Amino acid sequence: MEELAWDPDWNLACARIEAYLRAHAVEPRERVLALTLGILQEAKTLHAQNPSSTRLGCAMNLAVRKSDDWFSSLAGDPAKASRARAAFFSSGRNDLFLEPSLPADFVSAIRNAGIEAGPALKFQSLLRKEPDYGAMEDIARETWDQFSWGHTLRAFALWVVVFLAAWGAYLRFFQ
Amino acid sequence: MKPFPGIASLNPDGVALRHALFLATGAGITICGIVLMVAILRVDGFTPVEWVQLALFVPLFGQIAFGFTIAFWGFLILASGGDRYEIMRTLPNPPADGPAGGTAIVLPVFNEDPDRTFRGLENMFRSVEAAGGGGSFDFFVLSDSNDPGRWIEEEAAWFRLCSRCRAFGRIFYRRRRVPLHGKSGNIADFCRRWGKNFQYLLILDADSVMSGETILRLARVMDANPGAGIVQTAPQIIRGKSLLQRLVQFATRLVGPLFAAGSNFWHLGGGNYWGHNAIIRLKPFIGQCVLPVIPGRSADDRHILSHDTVEASLMQEAGYQVWFAYLEDGSYEESPPDLSESLKRDRRWCQGNLQHFWFLFAPGTRFTNRIHIFFGLMAYLTAPLLVLFIALSSWDNRWKQQFEIFSAQVDVPVGPGWASTVLLGLTLALLFLPKILGLIHLLPRAGDYGGILRLFLSAIAETIFSILLASILLYFYTRFVILTVLGLRVTWKSQIRDKSDIPFGEAVKTYWGPTCAGVLAGLVAFFWAPALILWLSPFLAGLILSIPVAMLSGSEKAGLLLKDPGLLLIPEESSLPPILRNLDPGEPAVPGILQLALSPEVNAIHCSLLRKSHGHHEAGLLAGLRKRLLQEGPQSLSRRELNALLWDRQAVESLHRDIWISEENSLHPRWRNALRDFVRR
Repeated sequence: MEELAWDPDWNLACARIEAYLRAHAVEPRERVLALTLGILQEAKTLHAQNPSSTRLGCAMNLAVRKSDDWFSSLAGDPAKASRARAAFFSSGRNDLFLEPSLPADFVSAIRNAGIEAGPALKFQSLLRKEPDYGAMEDIARETWDQFSWGHTLRAFALWVVVFLAAWGAYLRFFQ
Repeated sequence: MKPFPGIASLNPDGVALRHALFLATGAGITICGIVLMVAILRVDGFTPVEWVQLALFVPLFGQIAFGFTIAFWGFLILASGGDRYEIMRTLPNPPADGPAGGTAIVLPVFNEDPDRTFRGLENMFRSVEAAGGGGSFDFFVLSDSNDPGRWIEEEAAWFRLCSRCRAFGRIFYRRRRVPLHGKSGNIADFCRRWGKNFQYLLILDADSVMSGETILRLARVMDANPGAGIVQTAPQIIRGKSLLQRLVQFATRLVGPLFAAGSNFWHLGGGNYWGHNAIIRLKPFIGQCVLPVIPGRSADDRHILSHDTVEASLMQEAGYQVWFAYLEDGSYEESPPDLSESLKRDRRWCQGNLQHFWFLFAPGTRFTNRIHIFFGLMAYLTAPLLVLFIALSSWDNRWKQQFEIFSAQVDVPVGPGWASTVLLGLTLALLFLPKILGLIHLLPRAGDYGGILRLFLSAIAETIFSILLASILLYFYTRFVILTVLGLRVTWKSQIRDKSDIPFGEAVKTYWGPTCAGVLAGLVAFFWAPALILWLSPFLAGLILSIPVAMLSGSEKAGLLLKDPGLLLIPEESSLPPILRNLDPGEPAVPGILQLALSPEVNAIHCSLLRKSHGHHEAGLLAGLRKRLLQEGPQSLSRRELNALLWDRQAVESLHRDIWISEENSLHPRWRNALRDFVRR
């Protein structure tokens, strides 16, 4: 233990493991410390066998693997490990984290947790009707089909002439 | 008052009589205005410009005449003790026991603050449980959020809510991978997947809150009236903090009840649907109300943006009625925090309402729907028509050297004689009488609004601010309409903000247009027709002051300044209903992406909701994205890349593992700091 206390790398690894366990809402603190030290000792042994790995990497790989394995085992199917992990957080039994033997009701509750995006699907198709927009649609379609800026400018010029003629007539005959 | 046994008992003659009364009142006032206008314009004989002026005057004056008509009939109905034909009166008294019809309560969300959204949802869930709703109601959060951080935060908020309330299997969260066709597409997707499971659909907005008792009553009123397709409530606006929010929430209490009662008076079962805080009968909704495409040149043009009015119309075409439960308490929503956000919403509504033009002349559209569609169109078309009217009036004034007069909402050319005075008086009466009638209606409940004096002062404050806002809205609505008609996209410079204050730079960028327009109009009036300046002053003041007015609109300090002495109060501020408690946001959450990578809980929640990983051919690409994310930080990936990464379960699990086993110096400083914070906590 003295060697761990004085080695800054192991110290860092210790803090990271502890944080990782606390991120699983593990209580009480005594249990967090016990688990941390257990993982750290095991990591130290592994590191001695493979000194080329970093101490932090070795310790955290071990911690993450233990966690993944535990959740896979809890789920009964590695593909459902994430679901078991999520269910574990809503179970309120975080004190059981990484426990080798678990109560049957807890395991059952985790495996049957209803974390679903929705109830059972009952697909049905939505059929869109072709609406009748009446004459306005025909007018619009004809306009879009036949529209061009050349036509528009010519029509505009014609109306300007008509307007000016009407205006001139008004001034000439009615004012 | 006689009971209302059910909508099947409605006498068609009675409905027709109400339509006739409503139209006769509005048309009668409009004709009076036209007669007066003709009397003014014909003094020197009609010029062509005056004929155009008169043509513009008719819809402009008609708009305020019919607005007044609704408020007037609403006042009469409320003063006489309420409407017999109010849909909620069909519920038995005492209320029925037993379960109501199966109802899905859906909450479509799009990048909204999950904290506020899920607080509201929790209140509603608990309230439904407390009201005895139990197994009849399921809740669905239907997310279209395309911000990856918001996605993760929503999932975490949903999971924690379900854990707290033991509501797994009662509250669901589903996010669409492809958010096609916005909110209407989101609802359609729900109907396609789960619509068969339920009788009714209660649609909310992200900021909506409804009490359990109200939800239960709505389901029961649908049970009691098989001919009702949609029942829309009148949501009260609440939780106003900024000045604009407080003004809006007060204004809706002042005139809202009158307009609501008046609307129900004339349309009865031919009402409108506002898209939220309403219950819908699912079978006809799925079978008959699938949104059609509208004529257009591109796919975007053909998609209906504003679905609610169209759905109400289709529901009525299918033979079902749309009712307005305007007296029902316990239905709430919030309003945009400032003028810029409010205008953004108006821009969407403007584009959507103008699309409804196609249904105005469609053969199958019912009479009442045509009127709703017409009013919706005129809400925005009035602005360019009014601008044109002002321009022509000025031209005519210059031409004939006559005196003209303008008011904030409508300008009325005034010639010599009694007609001009009467028309001015009539216009002002139509504009301000609804507020006066609203005040009279609220007097018996003045205590809820801080007392008679404060109620009166609040109404004056609201009126002054709405006069200032009127010309700013006129400017922007005109711009929105012109750009929409030309098929151009309206660009907007302001950003989505968490807080409501508009910074000065952003206000200048957004409101320099109306300011310049106001200065220019003022100069033109000053040199051309100085006598107009006095009459134009409210109109010009709003435009010229649009920058400070916009900034003031979003100011919470200004809102508080009026709240402290008891102005602009609403009853919910004197006595907070339980359903509105604990809605204020808590501590700012850790950004979603950081939570996803670091928190085993959030990571597991996300992975448990993903179906499966991508194939091997994408694994390399995703590994590259993951590496970049960790080494170059969350900002290094585009939203699309981040979304692609987050849809892959294996990639997300690996991200979590990688960050925990990495040496600090191999991580981007953002991750390094986040990890340190996590370890320290």
